Amino acid sequence: MKRALSNPLAFAGFVIIAGIMLLAIFAPLIAPYDPNAIDVQAILLPPSSNHWMGTDGLGRDVFSRMLFGARISLMVGIVAVGIATAIGIVLGAISGYYRGWVDVIIMRLVDVMLSIPTFFLILAVIAFLTPSIWNIMIVIGLTSWMGVTRLVRAEFLSLRGREFVMASETLGARDGRLIFKHLLPNSLTPIIVSSVLGVASAVLVESGLSFLGLGVQAPQASWGNILTDGKEYIEFAWWLSLFPGLAILITVLGYNLLGEGLRDALDPRSTK
Amino acid sequence: MIKYLLKRLFWMIPLMIGISLISFFIMHLAPGDITASEASFNPKASEESRQKLRELYNLDKPVIVQYGLWLKRMGTLDFGTSFASHQRPVFWQKTDDQGNVSKGLIQEALPITLLINVLSLVMIIAIALPLGVISALTRNQLPDRAITLFVFIGFAIPGFWLALMLMYWTGVANDWLPISGLHSLGHEHMGPVAQILDTLKHLILPVFISALSGLAGISLFVRNGMLDVLHQDYITTARAKGLSEHSVVYGHALRNALLPLITIFGLSIPGLIGGSVIAESIFAIPGMGKLFYDAVLMRDFPVIMGILTIGSALTLLGNLLADLAYAWADPRVRRGVMR
Repeated sequence: MKRALSNPLAFAGFVIIAGIMLLAIFAPLIAPYDPNAIDVQAILLPPSSNHWMGTDGLGRDVFSRMLFGARISLMVGIVAVGIATAIGIVLGAISGYYRGWVDVIIMRLVDVMLSIPTFFLILAVIAFLTPSIWNIMIVIGLTSWMGVTRLVRAEFLSLRGREFVMASETLGARDGRLIFKHLLPNSLTPIIVSSVLGVASAVLVESGLSFLGLGVQAPQASWGNILTDGKEYIEFAWWLSLFPGLAILITVLGYNLLGEGLRDALDPRSTK
Repeated sequence: MIKYLLKRLFWMIPLMIGISLISFFIMHLAPGDITASEASFNPKASEESRQKLRELYNLDKPVIVQYGLWLKRMGTLDFGTSFASHQRPVFWQKTDDQGNVSKGLIQEALPITLLINVLSLVMIIAIALPLGVISALTRNQLPDRAITLFVFIGFAIPGFWLALMLMYWTGVANDWLPISGLHSLGHEHMGPVAQILDTLKHLILPVFISALSGLAGISLFVRNGMLDVLHQDYITTARAKGLSEHSVVYGHALRNALLPLITIFGLSIPGLIGGSVIAESIFAIPGMGKLFYDAVLMRDFPVIMGILTIGSALTLLGNLLADLAYAWADPRVRRGVMR
C-alpha cells in the first residue's frame, strides 16, 4: 500500500477519491440546506455566498444536492462493482481451477454476455423492472462481471503451473486450501486494479442512466439527474449543468488515476 | 480461408443460442408476467394490449414452448409489430392486403446508426493514430504528457455532459452548428451536394461524442503498442541495417503495432452501438439508440427485444469481420488457420 501511494498518479487519485468520500459521508453535516427543500423565493439564483453553486428551477440549493448526489454516485459505483467482482471471482476461480467442461460453459457465457451491447442490456433490464437505485446497482453489477472472470481465470491458470502451487498440491493440499491460501491471494493485485477502474465506469453508467431519466428518480438527487434539470435551463442557468458534469469528470478521473497508478506501482512487470 | 470462415460461422451458433436464452430470461425478469408489469407502469394499458403481449410471446403456453417460439422468432427475424408506433413492424417492412408498405422501425434506424459508427471509426483512426504515434515517439516529453492528459480526460468526461456543453456552445451561444435532428428545415429543396453537407453538419457533434472514448482508448493503445514494438529485436535489426528513422518507425514499427487494432475495433462494436443511445437521444437522431431509448420509455417490448437481438447479432458479425480481417492482414494467423 505504501509503495502504491508513493506513485504520484495513485496518490493524486487517492486524494481525489478520499476527498469526495469524506464530502459524501458528512453530507448532512456540510450541506447548508435540505437538498430537497423547495424555495419559491430562490428560483434559479446564480452562484453566490448564500448558494455556492446557485439554485435550481425549484429553488433547491445545488451545492447541497451535489453533496447528496455524491453519496449516490459512490454507493452505486462501489456496490455494483462489489457484485461484479464477487461474481467474477467465483466464476473465474471455478473456471480456472477446475477447467474442463465447466470452464467451457463459463467462457461461452462470458462470450455471450460480451456480445450483447452492454448499455442496451442494462436499459432492457430496467425497462422490465422499475428504475430505482437498488435495481441500477444490481443491473450494473450483473452486466459487468465478465472482465473480472477472465482475469481471475487467467491468473489461476498461470499460477497453477508455478512451483509453489504444485509443491503445495504435491503435499496433498485440498482444493479449498489451494484456492484460498495460494491462488486467490496471489491474484489480488489485478483484481483490485480492475475493480477500481470498474468503479469509474459504473459511476459513468449510473450518471448516464440518471441523465436519461432511467436511473435515480427525482426528487432524490444524483449528479446525472441534476444535469437533466440543467438541460432544460441551459440557456440561462449554466451552473446547473456545469457543476454536476465537473463532479462526474473529477470522480471518474480520480478512480482512473488510482487504478492506473496502482497497476504501475503493484505490477513489477509494467515499467511504462 | 474458407475453412476458417466456416469454423467461425459455426461458432456463432452457440453464441446466438446463448443470446436467445439471455434475452428470454430478461423478458421473464418482470415480477409476475410482463403484462402485469406493463399494467403497473402504464395504468392505461388496456386489456387489449396486454392480450396482444400474451399472444406475441405466447405467455399462456409452457415456458419451454415459449422459448422454442421465441427462438423461432429470432431465427426468422420476425419480432412482431411495435405497440407504440402505430403497429409498424419492428424489423423489416411488411406489405398489407391493400399493398401498402409499412417500413420496419429497425430497417429505418439501422443505417443511420451504422453511418454514425463508421464516421466515428474514421474519426478515431484519423485522430488517435497520429496522437498515439507522437506520444510514443516523444515518450515522457511534453507532447506525450499533453496527450496522456487528454487521454485521461477523454476516459473520464461524461459524453452526455460534453454533448450538452458543445451543443450550448456551438448551437445556442453561437450559431455554428445545428443542435438536433439529421436535416435542416427545407432539406428536401436543396441540391444533392447541399443535402449531403447539411446532413454532415448535423452529424459532426454526434459523431464526435460517440468517438470520444474510442479516441482516448485507441491513442493509448497505439502509444503502448508502439513502445512495445520499438523494443523488439527486428527494430534493432532494421536500425542496424541503416534504415532511415522514418522507415523504421512507419515501415516496421507502426505496421506491427497496428495489427491488434483490428481486434480492438471488433471488440469496440458493442460499445459503439450501445453508446449510440446517449448521443442519439441528446441530438434527436432517429437511429437505433434513440429508437431503443424511446421503446424503453414506452415499454414497447417488441421493439426492445428486437433491437437487443439485432444489436447482438451485429456485434457477432463485427467480431467475425475483425477476425477475418486479422487473418487477412497477418500471414502468421492465415497460415495457422489454413493448416
